[in-house]
This record gives sequence, C-alpha cells and structure tokens, in this order.
Amino acid sequence: MDLTDKEHVERCCDGHPEDFGLLVDRYQKPLFSYLASRVGSLPQAEEAAQESFVRAFLSLRKLRKPGSFYSWLLGIAGRVAKEQFRSELRRGQDREAAETMMLTAAGRDEDYPLEEAIAVLPENHRQVILLRYYEGLSCQEVASRLNQPLGTVTKTLSRAYALLRQELKARGCAEQTVNPTKQI
Amino acid sequence: MNCAECRDNFVACAEGLLERGEEQQCRAHLAACADCRAEYEFSVHLQHRLLARGQAAAGVDIVETVMRRVRQEQFKPERETIMSKILKHRWGLGLGATATAAAVTLIALLSTPKIQAAAVEAMTKGAQAVANLTSIHLRGQLRTQPQDNFSYINADCPFYTIELWKEFDPILKWRVEKPNRVLVMDGQSTVMLINSNTGVKLPQPTASAFDTEWLHRIANLSNTISNELDNARDKGWKLTVTEDHGADGRLKSIVTVMAKSGVPDNDYVKNTFIGNADTRRVYRFDAQKNLLESVQIFLVRPSGEVQIFDLSEIDYNQPIDPKVWQLDVPADVSWYQAPKELPDNEKYASMTAEQAARAFFEACSREDWNEAAKFMSPINDQLKQYLGGLEIVSIGESFTSKMYGGRFVPYQIKLRSSETKKWNVALRKDNPAHRWQVDGGI
Repeated sequence: MDLTDKEHVERCCDGHPEDFGLLVDRYQKPLFSYLASRVGSLPQAEEAAQESFVRAFLSLRKLRKPGSFYSWLLGIAGRVAKEQFRSELRRGQDREAAETMMLTAAGRDEDYPLEEAIAVLPENHRQVILLRYYEGLSCQEVASRLNQPLGTVTKTLSRAYALLRQELKARGCAEQTVNPTKQI
Repeated sequence: MNCAECRDNFVACAEGLLERGEEQQCRAHLAACADCRAEYEFSVHLQHRLLARGQAAAGVDIVETVMRRVRQEQFKPERETIMSKILKHRWGLGLGATATAAAVTLIALLSTPKIQAAAVEAMTKGAQAVANLTSIHLRGQLRTQPQDNFSYINADCPFYTIELWKEFDPILKWRVEKPNRVLVMDGQSTVMLINSNTGVKLPQPTASAFDTEWLHRIANLSNTISNELDNARDKGWKLTVTEDHGADGRLKSIVTVMAKSGVPDNDYVKNTFIGNADTRRVYRFDAQKNLLESVQIFLVRPSGEVQIFDLSEIDYNQPIDPKVWQLDVPADVSWYQAPKELPDNEKYASMTAEQAARAFFEACSREDWNEAAKFMSPINDQLKQYLGGLEIVSIGESFTSKMYGGRFVPYQIKLRSSETKKWNVALRKDNPAHRWQVDGGI
C-alpha cells in the first residue's frame, strides 16, 4: 500500500532520503502543470519544478505539518516562479518585455488555482484525482492500484469534485470557462 | 434516487460505469433537479479541465534529475569549519535506506563495464542486507589530530579511535566521538563538546553535522552507492570487485573505489579532509550474508599510499545504552555564539583578511579579550593563556582554496612561552555581521 505524504516526509527526516523520490514521482506532474501556468515556457516550468523539489528537500525538516507537503510545495514553487521572473528582468530584459512574457504565460492557461485547490483536498481525495488525471489511469485502474472497489473510487472522485468546486468558488474561480481542448 | 446518491454517482454516470437501471435513475434525477444538474455540469466541466492539465504534463519525468540534484546537495564536500556548519548544516544520511531501484537505474544509466556493475551489485546487496536496521555502532581508527575536527586526516599522525552510534527507532539519535571531541544528537538538538571546555549547539535534530557526514555515509550503504555511482559517472571514479576467503573461511566480496576529489594538487587543503582527499576505499562484505564487515581508506599521494582509516568493528542491531545519548556538559563551558552586528561594525566589515588577522593578534598581544572576541568565538581561558602577550613576527599575504569559502593568512607569532609559531589562520566572513572570523589555524 502506498504510504501517505506524512509517512514519506517522516521517513525522509528519519534517514530515508530515497523516500523523497516517491514524493517527487507523486507530485511532479501537478507541480509542472501549476508552474507551466505561471512561468514563461515549458522548459522554464520544468526547471522551476526541479528547483522547487530540491528546495523542498533541503527544507523538509522545517515542514511542521508533513501531511500538508503538497500545499507547502506549491508555496515554494510560487516563490521559485517569482524569482525566475525577477531573474529574467536582471538578465537584461526590460520590465515591460518580462511582464508581457508573464502575461502571455498566464494567458495561455490561467487554471493554476486548480492545482492549489487540489492541494487542500483531503489526502484520499487528492490521491484519486492525481491517479486519474495526472497519471492517466482509468477508474478501474485506480481501483486496482488502491485495492478499492470501483464504486468507492468513483464516489471518492465525485466527492472530490464537489470539494474542488467549493474551494474554487472560495477563490473566485469556480465558474471559470476553460476550453477543454486547450493545451498548456 | 435522492440528491446525495445522485451526486455520489456523477463520475460513474459521466464515465458510463453505472448499471443501466442506476444510470436511468441518475439521469431522471438530473432532469428533475436543477441544483444537481448544475453540479453535474460543473463536474463534467471540471473533468475536462483536469484531463487537459493531466495530458499537458503527461511527458514530465524529473524524478531522476531531482534525486541526482538532491544527492549532489547531500554529498557536497563538507566545509571544514565549525562556523560554516552552524550557519548551514546539511542533510546527512540515515541508515535504514534500502538500495532500491534508484541504484539499479543508475547502473543502467552509467553503462558501466561488467566489473563495475558487479561492484555495484555487491554494494547493493550490502545495502539491502541492512535495510531495516534498528541501530548500528561503528568503531574505527583514523589518522588525525585529536584537537581537529571529525574529518581531518593527516598521514603523519598516529591512529585515534573514532566511533559512531546510531539508533533509528523510535526516533533518530546518534553520537560521534573521538579524543577531545564529542557530538551528540539526542533526537531534539545537536551538541558538540570540544576539549570539555567549548560547546557548540544546534537547537534542532540533525542527521549529520560538524564534518561527520563521511562517517554517517559509511553507515548508509544506499547513499554510498549513489555517491560512488554519481562520482563514477561525473569524475571517472573506478569501482572494482574481487572475491577472497576471510580468516573465518567464508567468502568475501571486496569492493574497491578509487575516489578522486577533483581538488587541484597545489590546493592548500588537498588531502587534509576526507572529502578533499584522493583515496582508495575498500569495502569488505560477507558474500553470503552480504553484510558490510570492514572498511579501509587509503590516502593516495604521488609518494605512495598511506592507510588513514580502518573500520573492522561494526555492530548491527545491538541495544545501545541510553547513556550514549547523554552529554555531560560542564557548567563553565564556553559556548560558540554567532557574530552579531556591532555599533562600529563597518570598521570591521571593511577590513581585509590580512588586516583582520593583524587586528586579532594585536588584541591577543594586549590581552584585550573584548576586542579579540570580535574576531573569534569563543575564546576560553585555555586559549587566553596560550595567546595572551604574543608578539607578531609577520603577517603574510592571504590566499584561497577551491574548497574553502574564506581566506588563509600566513602568520608567524612568538608566544609568551618563547615558542614561535608559523602557520596559516583561516578567516571567513560569510556570517550575518560580515566580519572576518577566525575559523581555524590557531
């Protein structure tokens, strides 16, 4: 059975740094997706994702609520994205050009609050969302992976949708219209 | 079907996973209930959004890259200073780690020759054999100076005992000890006691601190493998394996790693610390149990090899006396304190390393310990006795090392005891007050 975020974090801090690779595996795609919406290009998003994970690893002992690892990771990623932006400015691009770059990136897909909302879901709900959509498993495959009945998985997903809607509504973006064919 | 039942079935309904009868009931409820219909439409919409996000990230795979960077952070050569450890201590290495797929993957990535792959396999088995340890105790011999730090090596020195105790359950605790220096991490904080009169405290638990990382690494074969493989790829380290029968008649696998530090031959600190030294490392495993039985490290110099470390006492899963985690700190111990900004801080922050060295020795000469304390912490009575009343003979031009973040200033002083000392004082100013601080070489 997969360990929880909290268990992985605690094992990392107890001398099992290899467990961090499992956390990277778990969150690399949603984190990349989140960053791709916030920085200028996909290579930059990948670079920012790597940097965010490394910083998270180095600061892991400061994480007071190990169960909130992903939410905390997104906070780090947000700071990394801002630093990238400032770095672009320092590299000689004028502010207007850099801001245009950021706006272009944001305009490409302004759906990053979705990852933020996923981060605050209860872990069992988040787990099925990640497996179903970011790992691309079918509901049946998710059920096999988690050793749960199919009905439990579909109900958990349905309830996760309801929680996501509440969360997005609280963030003022629940009714956002997104073209489902649009790619990041 | 009521609203709650209908909403629980949204995903199954949208994905065609309901029985025909259930689906009809669900659709009928949606047709009749505006609230549920709105919620259902949102769910479908959300599903599209999530599918788009997931598809865009489908090709992302940065696990190996991130873990390589993490390992590089872990295995950065340890700085050889007390102060740097206080300012920035790193993750160390626990022991329970298994040699997992990561090591196997690295073997493939390296495309190692067969003999190298065999060496890795022997180490991997060794790591698997100790994957679930509850405790470990290492007792080895290191050529070092008692007063110097835990990773200092000197081929001209005799061997001194160095020990590591490590317990994993219920929480990580460890202790490292050599003559004149004890370091205890009791699960809450990390305290080092030097010569029973000087203390350094980190208020948090650590997995490794104060130049003990190399010893922790020996106790953690999984990370050792990662380290040796990364270096084999990046620096051309060679791994070989042979087999031999030990004194007990049992077959042994002997893995040898030729480790190049990458430090230039003319660098001042080359071969003075484990991490800065060119070494040949010999790991000996019981071929049947796969347990690590001994480690030997040889310093490799143009003039020949000298053994600098010998480890043949390794206790696995033995109960550790709780007293090991206790450290008796004398009441009058002098504690290290990080430098703080002074009212006239700029005067000191603008000094060159040479000026700072001279100002420090002049303060010692006058026995003005308040002034001397602006350059060094702590200055205990023993040090005051040693340096008080000295005469400066010369202060030379400072120089740097690739492996050190500060500068070295050559000096010659005449002590009150009439002894003349000629050496290099290490100074660094990467502290919040940006003042040069004596970091070693006294």
